[in-house]
Amino acid sequence: MIKVIAACVIGAALAGGTTVMVTNLATESTATAEPVNETLYNYGDR
Amino acid sequence: MGFLFRALPWFLGALAAVAALGPALGPGYVLRYDMVFVPDLSLATVLAGADGFPRAMPSDAVVAALSLVLPGDVVQSLALTAVFVLGFVGAFRILSGAVRAAGGPDVVGAAAGAAAGLSYVWNPFVAERLLLGQWAVLLGYAGLPWVLAAVVRASTEPASRGLAGTLRALIPAAVGGFSSVALSALTAGPQALLGPRRWRTAGALVAALVLVSLPWLVPSLTSGATTDPAGVEAFAARADTPFGVLGSLLLSGGVWNAGAVPPGYGEPVAAAARALLVAVSLAGWVWWARRHRPAMAAGLSVAAVAGTTIALAGATGPGHEVLTSLIGWWPGFGLLRDGQLYVAPLALLQALGSGAVLVWLLRGFSEDARRGSGPSRNVSEVGLVRTMVAVFVALGPVVVLPGLAWGAGGGLVPVDYPREWTRAQEAVAADPGSGAVLVLPWSAYRGVEWSGRPVVVLDPATRLFDRRTVWNDDLRVGTPDGGTVVVAGEDARAREAARLLEPDPRTGMPTVDPGEWAEILSSLGVSHVAVSAPVDNRFSSDFPGLETVVQGDDMTLLEVRDQHMNVDKEGISGLEVTGGLVTVGAIIWSMARSGSSLGFQRPQPRTDRGARKEIPK
Repeated sequence: MIKVIAACVIGAALAGGTTVMVTNLATESTATAEPVNETLYNYGDR
Repeated sequence: MGFLFRALPWFLGALAAVAALGPALGPGYVLRYDMVFVPDLSLATVLAGADGFPRAMPSDAVVAALSLVLPGDVVQSLALTAVFVLGFVGAFRILSGAVRAAGGPDVVGAAAGAAAGLSYVWNPFVAERLLLGQWAVLLGYAGLPWVLAAVVRASTEPASRGLAGTLRALIPAAVGGFSSVALSALTAGPQALLGPRRWRTAGALVAALVLVSLPWLVPSLTSGATTDPAGVEAFAARADTPFGVLGSLLLSGGVWNAGAVPPGYGEPVAAAARALLVAVSLAGWVWWARRHRPAMAAGLSVAAVAGTTIALAGATGPGHEVLTSLIGWWPGFGLLRDGQLYVAPLALLQALGSGAVLVWLLRGFSEDARRGSGPSRNVSEVGLVRTMVAVFVALGPVVVLPGLAWGAGGGLVPVDYPREWTRAQEAVAADPGSGAVLVLPWSAYRGVEWSGRPVVVLDPATRLFDRRTVWNDDLRVGTPDGGTVVVAGEDARAREAARLLEPDPRTGMPTVDPGEWAEILSSLGVSHVAVSAPVDNRFSSDFPGLETVVQGDDMTLLEVRDQHMNVDKEGISGLEVTGGLVTVGAIIWSMARSGSSLGFQRPQPRTDRGARKEIPK
């Protein structure tokens, strides 16, 4: 049982590490384009 | 132990809600695109409605009713949390029920159910619709696994019990409104037609769908609402990953609005990781469908293919023409203009496929359980590596879409309305008249800066007052080439206001002579003007015949001094009242028929080992 729990913890840790890696890769090249200093906006932009 | 297993999906669903919404669940109102909650939303005003298609019925009516007993921001938090909890539990129960019915151990059922649940509520579809503020659509989406399971059960139950079960499962869709009902029909319709006793089951489904649709169906049929075919171009699915429109849809993304894509999702690494996860989940679905033959395999597969086809249609030349023609022929086909909505059945299929992958990875546990061997043997046969991989796969949706976490990467932040807004609301409520409120500037969407960070949202002033508001319901959508598509609004009085006031498209303020304002407003039945944007200090002194009631940085409320207007007594018709009461009565009957809500059921006794039976009774 302890081995199973350890395997779960390792799997979760791997998932966490990969999440951080994906987050870093994504945020390095992403700039959220929320326009500022306007009053009127489109419903959205395609 | 049994109680813990029954409570587990609800707890995990709540955990997913907190992880995704984070700060959005705190005090204050989350404003974003279509998501507008205000303090003390007026039930009478919501029920009276306006011209055009009743898109906010009955979701706004339910919010207004709940706001009678709870603060508006609490109602919003409950609605958003319900999306994650209901969706998670619905998908969880399908997988865990299947494992249990096949004689597998509870722990495998829980693991597979958790993987399915997380996949169902943590994907691009949920993230993008959430960032678009379409909480009512997501409520209907959350109910899809419940509806699908109910239709499967209905085919084996007595007719009235099947109808009651289907009705009960449609409660989230009933609250969500027309898009939610359409999604439910698409997801469960093929299953009803392909399963046993098809005509009876399909009849029960149609009856249930009609019953829950009456609050929006009756007013839409009697109001003569129209739909601008330009919406097909504006709201067609678009590529939000490097894989094109079809690839983006297969990943359950592809929303039309670039501003609704979660942070980082469209980057090649994240998109490729998502594609890998989708491929694994589709493989899991195929394996599950072939090996265990779940009752919903064919129905959900057909629904997913049909939904993806609809979603893709608007983005292709011939599909675009067909949809435009259909909407021109009958406005009801306007339901199809926002095509990406219809990848929802595919998202459910992928979620169940993710759960099936865990069933496959942990199949050693199930085999040992059938042989009656002990836990130590489980460990040796299943293998620690498989367990590790299973945990990784179960958490895969979060790994490949971290942008949904903690308020969708900062896109969902609660704010408080400025004091001027609540003063304006109180001032209008205190006025004994019944004239409408004209909302300026003449544009539906604002970049409200008092939220701390500019966020685009449907002007909250359109919902703030306890009476009808007149506002520009045209929808302007920017195109990649710098152009704009304008989808004409549906409110006839708004069109008349635009004609008379001649608003400047740049500022949204009327260009007619200020001296004419009072007369024009009276002719429109308008008693107040709410300017929900910063204006010059001299603004309110420029208009003879209008009196400043509230003036603040972001809200100015003017009142027409001598109101000689013919206020048409708009209200809810007897037919609409009857329709709403029939829906409420049918839902109450469905709950009383089973003595529960949303089909929460106790686990059933195990069937014979090896039986191929997937849907819990």
